[in-house]
Amino acid sequence: MRKMLIVVRREYLDRVKKKSFLIGTILGPVLMALLLFMPALLFRFSPEMLTSVAVIDHSGAIYPHLERALPDTLPDGSAMFRLREEQVDGATLEQTRRRLAAEVENDALDGYIVIPADVVETGKVVFYGKRVGDIKTLERIESALSTIVIGMRLSERGIDYGEVRGLVRNVDLEAMQIKEGGEERKGGFDFVFMSTYLFIMLIYMTILMWGVAVQRSIIEEKNSRIIEVLLSSLRPGDLLFGKILGVCAVGLTQYAIWGLFGGLMVAYGLAMGGQVAAVAESLSLSTLAFFILYYLLGFLFYAAMFAGVGSVCNTDQEAQQMQQPIMFPLIFTIVIPMLIIQRPDGMFATVISLIPFFTPVVMFMRINVLMPPLWQVALSVAIMIAGIWAVGRLSAKVFRTGILMYGKKPDAREILRWLRRA
Amino acid sequence: MLSLENVTKRFNGHTAVDRLSLVIEPGVVYGLVGPNGAGKTTTIRMTMGIIEPDEGTIRLFDEPFSERVKERIGYLPEERGLYRKMKVLEHLVFLGQIKGLSSKTAAERGLRWLDRVELGEWKDKPVEALSKGMQQKVQFISTILHDPRLVILDEPFSGLDPINTQMLKDVIMQMKDRGCTVILSTHLMDQVEKLCEKICLIDRGRSVLEGDLGDIKRRFGQNVVSLRIPGGRAVFEAYPGVERIGEYGRDLSLTLRGGVAPEQILRHALDRGPVERFEVGQMSLHDIFIAQVRREGGGADA
Repeated sequence: MRKMLIVVRREYLDRVKKKSFLIGTILGPVLMALLLFMPALLFRFSPEMLTSVAVIDHSGAIYPHLERALPDTLPDGSAMFRLREEQVDGATLEQTRRRLAAEVENDALDGYIVIPADVVETGKVVFYGKRVGDIKTLERIESALSTIVIGMRLSERGIDYGEVRGLVRNVDLEAMQIKEGGEERKGGFDFVFMSTYLFIMLIYMTILMWGVAVQRSIIEEKNSRIIEVLLSSLRPGDLLFGKILGVCAVGLTQYAIWGLFGGLMVAYGLAMGGQVAAVAESLSLSTLAFFILYYLLGFLFYAAMFAGVGSVCNTDQEAQQMQQPIMFPLIFTIVIPMLIIQRPDGMFATVISLIPFFTPVVMFMRINVLMPPLWQVALSVAIMIAGIWAVGRLSAKVFRTGILMYGKKPDAREILRWLRRA
Repeated sequence: MLSLENVTKRFNGHTAVDRLSLVIEPGVVYGLVGPNGAGKTTTIRMTMGIIEPDEGTIRLFDEPFSERVKERIGYLPEERGLYRKMKVLEHLVFLGQIKGLSSKTAAERGLRWLDRVELGEWKDKPVEALSKGMQQKVQFISTILHDPRLVILDEPFSGLDPINTQMLKDVIMQMKDRGCTVILSTHLMDQVEKLCEKICLIDRGRSVLEGDLGDIKRRFGQNVVSLRIPGGRAVFEAYPGVERIGEYGRDLSLTLRGGVAPEQILRHALDRGPVERFEVGQMSLHDIFIAQVRREGGGADA
């Protein structure tokens, strides 16, 4: 035990003093900030600019109303849409379109619309432009045209549109999430999902990053041949678990530093208000506690497996092949959040959250979205601990035999034999 | 101190160590000698509990193997290795600690040793900044830092220059004087001849010859004659009493068949010309090894 702690200490100090740790730790929060604030920032600064649109109106009835249906203004108060009716006159439609296309080409025009004569019946209008990906602008034009066409259809049947509009106005659904104690907050799918997803990605990335770090460090130790000196002083298990726990402590240190940054960002987010504040508000202490708990369990579980892989491989390239069976379930956990978040209390979610490979990410997600029964949470922790114990034991056996094997990479059958024999 | 009894280890059908038995008494310098691949390293690894024997028993300090036993042993593996990024003294402290020393004691002793091998100024440099020879010294210090009762050195001289080789020999003799048991595993027979009192010759996992080096040499020594004659080896090529002719520069080394007296050789030589030098010598360990392996019916080259 004492010797294991010496190994933990060495592993920890060695890693924390590395430049790569410093860089990773500083870059982490920057990436996190980008993830957290990018959508909000993008939303704020999305460029609303003057949009010039030419209209070829074969029906002759739409254009007169269009200006009034697009009252949007730019931040400086001027109109956002500049419209111009294009007469086909003597020229053919083809010629006119070519002329307009040239204008779009040299940016004199953002696009043009061709409204057919039978638009009221068909409801089909075509927009030609360069930036057809600008969904917000297109949606505005579409909704303006719809309003006019619907109005015309209604008047044809003798109904006054102005009157009807009040009757058919959409309902604006605002989602409020009920938290423990009946407290309500502005939640909705976006916010729950965003904060949960952020944490899941963190769990996934850090388990992967530090798990692979354990694997690589074992391979390095094999290659530097120091392993034999160590084994002449230590039990293989002390060495294996010392390394895993040392790396684990490094991961936690990194989280502590990030937590500090995160705390500052939450404070900033609350001050900023709006959407950012809503994301920040959705973090709570219990979320963080569960996050750390499931990160730890997940890390220990996966790191033990990565260590096993490391001890039978001689190079990172070899390890990349051998680690596939571990990578698959790990990657799977971040592929399924959409399934879980829709039915967090469903059969699928319940079962999969109790399988050790998936528990860390999935159970954490369920807790965050909709608190499962307490017994399930407790069971998941118990299952994880049992899983870690089992995987750790197997890994120690493989480690013991594999660690002194140089040269030939053992095949699956041989590893199974070690497991049975040791 | 250490006893092996019928120890066998197999790897994938290949028998690395085959029913090996030996006894090492306290306070001796013991040579484990044999060509590369003879099973020396495997034997040592089993002694250290790094791998387990398939059959047989190993007893250290007359007690069954336990983890604490490791603290009384210093082991210099053939495959040297240190953490490259760690600072020299820090590294020694770490290796001392896992041998049960307190960090304070380990640091004190580490410093003393570093000064002694003239590496004092390097104590805060990363290991990778040191030359290969310096790293060897650091590794050697780590082997004896915890003042072990038994030191196992696997090919300790490989990669050492003559000065460091001499220094290592001095240290080994000092350790012996302090009552420490040293096991020296090497394929360099001449080093063994100079340092060891007892030896075990190993070939293909089996003990070929074991015992007191003096006894062994006496047993094999009488029938070797070293002589210098102008006629060279041609003089004895057809002589029936000579089993083997070795040439060392201008000297011949003749291994005699049983029952052939050295005087007969001298007479034969004198009959054919002048004799510049004649010596009834002892067989070198190298020759003994080859002779013994031949006798056992093997064909391995030492």
